[in-house]
Amino acid sequence: MDALYHLDTTSPLLQFAEDKLQIIALSFMALVYIFKVKWILSFKAGKERQAPTGNPRTTAQKGAVYSLFNIFMPWSMPSTRQHPFFYLQFGIFHVAVGTSIAMSIIIPYFPQLIANEAVIFALQVLFGLGCVIGLGRFIRRTVSPYIRAISTPDDYFSVALLTVWLAFAFMAAPNNRAETEFWLLGYFFLTAFFLFYVPFSKISHYIFYPFTRWYLGKTLGRRGVYPLPLNAGNEPLSRLFANTKPLEGK
Amino acid sequence: MGMQRSYKCERVIERLHKKVNRQVVASLEACVHCGMCTDQCHYVLANPGDVTYMPSYKADKLRKFFKAHIDWTGRTFPWWVSARSLYTDQELEELKDTVFGKCTNCRRCSINCPMGVDMATFNRMARGLLVSVGVMPEGVAVVAKDQWEIGNQMGVLREDYIDTLTWMEEELQAEHNDPAIKIPIDKMDCDVVYSINPREVKYDPRTIADAALIFHVAGENWTMASEGWDMTNFGLFNGDDDLGGAVARRCYEATENLRGKKLVISECGHGYRSTRCEGQNWGQKDIPFAMESSVITMLRYIKEGRIKVDKTTNTEPVTYHDSCNNARSCGMTEEPRELLNLVCTDFREMHPNRAENFCCTGGGGAMSMSEYTPRRLKSAAVKAAQLKATGAKCVVTSCHNCVDGLTDLIRHYELGMKVTQLVNLVANALIIPERRHAAAVGGLEGYKILLADDEPDTLAYFETVLADHGAQVILATDGDEALDLARKEKPDLITLDLSMPGRDGGEVFEILRKDPVLSQTKVCIITGKPELRRLIYDRPVPPPEGYLTKPVSEDDLMLNVRKVLEHTHHES
Repeated sequence: MDALYHLDTTSPLLQFAEDKLQIIALSFMALVYIFKVKWILSFKAGKERQAPTGNPRTTAQKGAVYSLFNIFMPWSMPSTRQHPFFYLQFGIFHVAVGTSIAMSIIIPYFPQLIANEAVIFALQVLFGLGCVIGLGRFIRRTVSPYIRAISTPDDYFSVALLTVWLAFAFMAAPNNRAETEFWLLGYFFLTAFFLFYVPFSKISHYIFYPFTRWYLGKTLGRRGVYPLPLNAGNEPLSRLFANTKPLEGK
Repeated sequence: MGMQRSYKCERVIERLHKKVNRQVVASLEACVHCGMCTDQCHYVLANPGDVTYMPSYKADKLRKFFKAHIDWTGRTFPWWVSARSLYTDQELEELKDTVFGKCTNCRRCSINCPMGVDMATFNRMARGLLVSVGVMPEGVAVVAKDQWEIGNQMGVLREDYIDTLTWMEEELQAEHNDPAIKIPIDKMDCDVVYSINPREVKYDPRTIADAALIFHVAGENWTMASEGWDMTNFGLFNGDDDLGGAVARRCYEATENLRGKKLVISECGHGYRSTRCEGQNWGQKDIPFAMESSVITMLRYIKEGRIKVDKTTNTEPVTYHDSCNNARSCGMTEEPRELLNLVCTDFREMHPNRAENFCCTGGGGAMSMSEYTPRRLKSAAVKAAQLKATGAKCVVTSCHNCVDGLTDLIRHYELGMKVTQLVNLVANALIIPERRHAAAVGGLEGYKILLADDEPDTLAYFETVLADHGAQVILATDGDEALDLARKEKPDLITLDLSMPGRDGGEVFEILRKDPVLSQTKVCIITGKPELRRLIYDRPVPPPEGYLTKPVSEDDLMLNVRKVLEHTHHES
């Protein structure tokens, strides 16, 4: 590719890993995703015949949009509101993963975007945090009896893969070919593996996210539930982050 | 060689392919096992450490099966995503235990899932798959059968339904000295066709009378249908869309046949959801009339000035329990509160509430599954804590299942609260020329009544009320004594508690019904354990003439005793 720079300092293997391999892996992922979306669209969508219910501020469309962006409103669900630290981890981890994917394109084609030391430092902080969070998630999955009970080999492998990949991203971020080629190679090969693996694993949940969210939101919007008001449970401030404790006794 | 699969499992797999739609497939695929739903389920909160109550664990029971048959990765590398098909009937029984016995389909986990996985919807689907091969709790089978065959889920016969409406009409006319108060049946071209829950006919006819009084004072042109009057729908609970569609169609067609302009649905969470929001989809039917909850109707009457209310008649501190179906599936959260504030002086919110409220634990058909009662009551510790924290003396709810579920848990946790519905409070606050005095509706002179109950306080209370109204009262403290006294005294009416030392109420009831001399004696069951109803109604003898759930108010006792003595006749 013409956009590739410093070819003189890049080994043929790294050139292959950051360019052709990524294109092949991305194309493969896109192809599988097309099949996956086609597959899900092959199932008939349920329809609602009844007139809408509930508050006029709610409609199917508003509900669907609210539902899609619900994840960015941690106050909207007790599950996220009551676990703000967990939500924060979720946010950082996903931003780190997204940024790392972006970096796999930036390094070969737009390296000037991450040439600044401050940017590199910021990236490393982000990947480092993501890596630590990933490790924490892996430990939680192993230690918590609840999470262990629902975990599959794919769950363990996916979080381990992302954690290791973020560690390589952390090391590869300076993009110093002379000193960090090992990390760059590891990062790009892992990215390629990740792209090949993702469509078949739980990591592809983001493909289903728009479907689940859209349909749930549409249904609950038509039925007057979504969008929920700001404090849907009408909780006083003292209870806003607390869950209900069962009554002791019988 | 692969495992041999049972016939039922084969049928369930066939049906799975037909049942899944895009929403369900997306929900089954999207779970990332993050566990955020875990502590949002009342079962989990009340059973810490027991992973089998986790929403995602329960959902995985179906998900594993779905992945084994429909998802590509699951079919190709089943072990990698823990996909597993169903092979034995025992596995179906285990699935039954989960989807019926560990989930009330309250949808709280669904709205708490960051991915938008609608677990309640596919839990219902799993129930439907099991029901299609006859795997379900016995109570569910009995209720579904009644709804298919008799047309309502409590097996109320047409004759009893009409009798009850006539009786309530007479009561209202007598109470208010106003022969103009009517409960019209099958009146054509009305503005409102009022549909109810059969529980109202069988256990709580006062709600019908209260609604009739409100319609009367509002000057409404209304009627009730003699057929298709049941707006409840067990199809919502057992996942059977065919049943759901058939029941909803009956209700819609009754309104169409009467050329009604609006179908008003009495206070019932699942009934409102089924009739208002789901029935048209299950029944594939468009309808030419509007539908409305009676809560909205009552509120409208007040706002339009058609009825006037005096909130000082309801001064007891009350709280409101949002039915899951009303709040999380139909968006009805503000109207009941607006109404409560108009008819009560001391309304206190329960926390959390509205869409974030916890289930009463009686939803999803749980009240008909007596085998899961201990679990249900244990999980009710969450709701009990919510109720207790309000300091209210009375909990109001717009759902009959919630009335039963809450009554049961209030007794279990000894909260000393009573449960009522908005229609009762509105009727009580209604400004009409004459106030109602239900307890003074007439004497019981000349009637001999045998009371059988092992609780001395209950016996003393019932005895006082009935004796004050002129009845001759005989007391028995256990089943054997009740039988002896019944044979000796030949009472006109026997009230029976279900849990008694020696022979329990169910046994005594069956013996009475099979006794050639006593078989025609009228019986009213008065129990503190509504989940044991089935033990009475499943017996191979005619059902009792009356049924009451403790605690019983003086008004309810008198109304029901008079109904049994004066209006009912034996079913053969």
